[in-house]
Amino acid sequence: MSKPLIQAGPATRWSGDEMKRRVARRYAAERRFRALGLAAVLLSLAFLAFLLVTMIVRGAGGFSSTFLTASDATDPAMAGVWGALKGSMLTILVTMALAFPIGVLAAVYLEEFARRNRWNDLVEVSINNLAAVPSIIFGLLGLAVFLKVMNLPRSAPLVGGLTLALMTMPVIVIAGRNAIKAVPPSIRDAALGVGASKMQVVFHHVLPLALPGILTGTIIGMARALGETAPLLMIGMRAFIAAPPAGVTSPATVLPVQIFLWSDEVDRAFVEKTSAAIIVLLVFMLMMNGLAIYLRNKFERRW
Amino acid sequence: MTLFLALVLVVLVAAAAAYLARSRAAGLRASGGGRLNSLPGYHAAFAFLWAAVPALLFLAAWAPIQEQLVNGAVLASAAGRQLPDFDLARANILGEAYQLATGQIAAAISPDAARIAPVYREALGRYGLIGGGFALLLAIAGAAWALTRVRATFRARSGVEKWLMGLLVAASLIAILTTLGIVLSLLFESLRFFSMVPATDFLFGTQWSPQTALRADQAGSSGAFGSIPLFWGTVFIGAIIAMIVAIPLGLMSAIFLTQYAPARLRSVLKPMLEILAGVPTVVYGYFAALTVAPLVRDLGLGIGISSASSESALAAGLVMGIMIIPFVSSMADDSIAAVPQAMRDGSLAMGATRSETIRKVILPAALPGVVGGVLLAVSRAIGETMIVVMAAGLSANLTANPFNSVTTVTTQIVQLLTGDQEFDSPKTLAAFALGLVLFVVTLLLNLIALHVVRRYREAYE
Repeated sequence: MSKPLIQAGPATRWSGDEMKRRVARRYAAERRFRALGLAAVLLSLAFLAFLLVTMIVRGAGGFSSTFLTASDATDPAMAGVWGALKGSMLTILVTMALAFPIGVLAAVYLEEFARRNRWNDLVEVSINNLAAVPSIIFGLLGLAVFLKVMNLPRSAPLVGGLTLALMTMPVIVIAGRNAIKAVPPSIRDAALGVGASKMQVVFHHVLPLALPGILTGTIIGMARALGETAPLLMIGMRAFIAAPPAGVTSPATVLPVQIFLWSDEVDRAFVEKTSAAIIVLLVFMLMMNGLAIYLRNKFERRW
Repeated sequence: MTLFLALVLVVLVAAAAAYLARSRAAGLRASGGGRLNSLPGYHAAFAFLWAAVPALLFLAAWAPIQEQLVNGAVLASAAGRQLPDFDLARANILGEAYQLATGQIAAAISPDAARIAPVYREALGRYGLIGGGFALLLAIAGAAWALTRVRATFRARSGVEKWLMGLLVAASLIAILTTLGIVLSLLFESLRFFSMVPATDFLFGTQWSPQTALRADQAGSSGAFGSIPLFWGTVFIGAIIAMIVAIPLGLMSAIFLTQYAPARLRSVLKPMLEILAGVPTVVYGYFAALTVAPLVRDLGLGIGISSASSESALAAGLVMGIMIIPFVSSMADDSIAAVPQAMRDGSLAMGATRSETIRKVILPAALPGVVGGVLLAVSRAIGETMIVVMAAGLSANLTANPFNSVTTVTTQIVQLLTGDQEFDSPKTLAAFALGLVLFVVTLLLNLIALHVVRRYREAYE
């Protein structure tokens, strides 16, 4: 009779109490590690919840029809966000009018036409770098170039929009390139095959198919520009402006800067106003991000 | 003729040229002049571009030149020579005269402005006529030339596509111009700063008190521009405290979300975590200053640190760390996902538990990617402005006590450029020198990080 391959019984190392203890210890470590991971996620989200609840509790009482229709005022009871909101809209409009076309065209060029040479590598490197440059540096650029060299008006939505456009453009280029890259080559081949020129291929076929992806990236970039404060402080947008701006060259303030200005006020009543303004800003950000997610889910295609 | 009127006229001429070209091309087709090489629409676009673009480019170049010419003419006139020599006052009067001359305001406050307004108006009209007229001529010439080219055999589409190609190249050039603009403006202003304050004093000095440079007649009016305390404060808040918060939380979140969470839980938690990255920094700053800072101060006082400040480094660093969590998490996520499945399977098949696999196999393999991600996070944290402006202090202390107040590079840039002081003081220029240092440091961090990440990706591909 041959010996069994594995000997059962207490003699082996694999079934003793020592082994059970070891396995139990390793499984306990496993559970601890898992719990630690969950705790990290929950702790991060708890911070977010704490922040949101704080703002809502402090700011909910600040809403009134005056608050939504008035501009900045020295008396907190008369102060409102409409002026800042209008300033934000004008600024974002300028930003979008510049950054979107330039960003999309640059993305098309880099993805569809640029040959790999030193010059185009330089363009690519500088776009990738610009996406990571701190926003305050763009503010310094705006101050030195738009205000000092070009003599554009201080504190105007035009200058703010220009500065933010330079900041947002790389984001749109990067999103645009990814969206264009995702369009399968067969589309291009088919269009070229029936005699379309390279330009027609790009503008009639590739770009429309890539547009949802580009728009998603653009909206996210715009949302970031909407919440940006530091570069606008650099170009002088920190003055007390008591009337909504009439146009893109009149002095204006924007919502995040208004929040910053109010947060500096000594009057305790401004705490409520600041928090209420933050709620307004967050609602806008949420709406824009929600729109981006909706667009992505609705139009995104897996080829 | 104002330049705006010229602009409108140019566009009108271009539109008319486009219409004419289109109807001509359509007429060619109708009259049976053979098959058109390009559709009528391309002929129209060709005419529009040749009429509008050169004229508009000329107008864009002319506008600043005209401003100089007009100012020169006004200052050279009899009334202009009596203006004060002081730049700021003169610029004010000129600005007012400009508004008066163009009808933006009805009456001037300063009598000087009222006196030179007619001169101004006359100069404006004269140079406007020259510039606007020339632009209009350019537009008409371009339109006429394009219209003569409308023939059945003319390749209008290639012509339009050449213009489009030019547009594409121009768009991609904006990025280079922006980079160049940043580097040049920072360098230029910094060099002027270093001509007033030695670079060694700036880079290695430990005394920072630029506010004393406010008045020229003061003793020691040059101020002290030793920025070591600022660099230390920036590193302390952005690279030490914030990372102590963000690295463990971000890394563990990424591990949980990629390795443990079921797909449905992940699809809920990940977007929620990403909201953290979408909250504007001014909101974080307000939250830090209003809610976190008092808590931290009370904590500091509670454990017996009497110097605990309400603008502590800890409060700012803590909130900045929270802001960075999703960033670290998504970078770690990417590098964990890039570890080959075979390594994971091998470890599990040897009998290792999941946590052992993660700690002993996946993390070491993903480490370069994680380090790259952390470097990017540091670069973002030290360039972050609003949180530190609102929650960190202004006093430049060299301290390692997190309950004390420190100041950062970005805080001081904002502080130095606040208000309407003259542009050429060392105080204002110091902001550009600080900006240059910030730009160079973040650039280096990004380059190193990208290099590390790329090398690591190649290792597993």
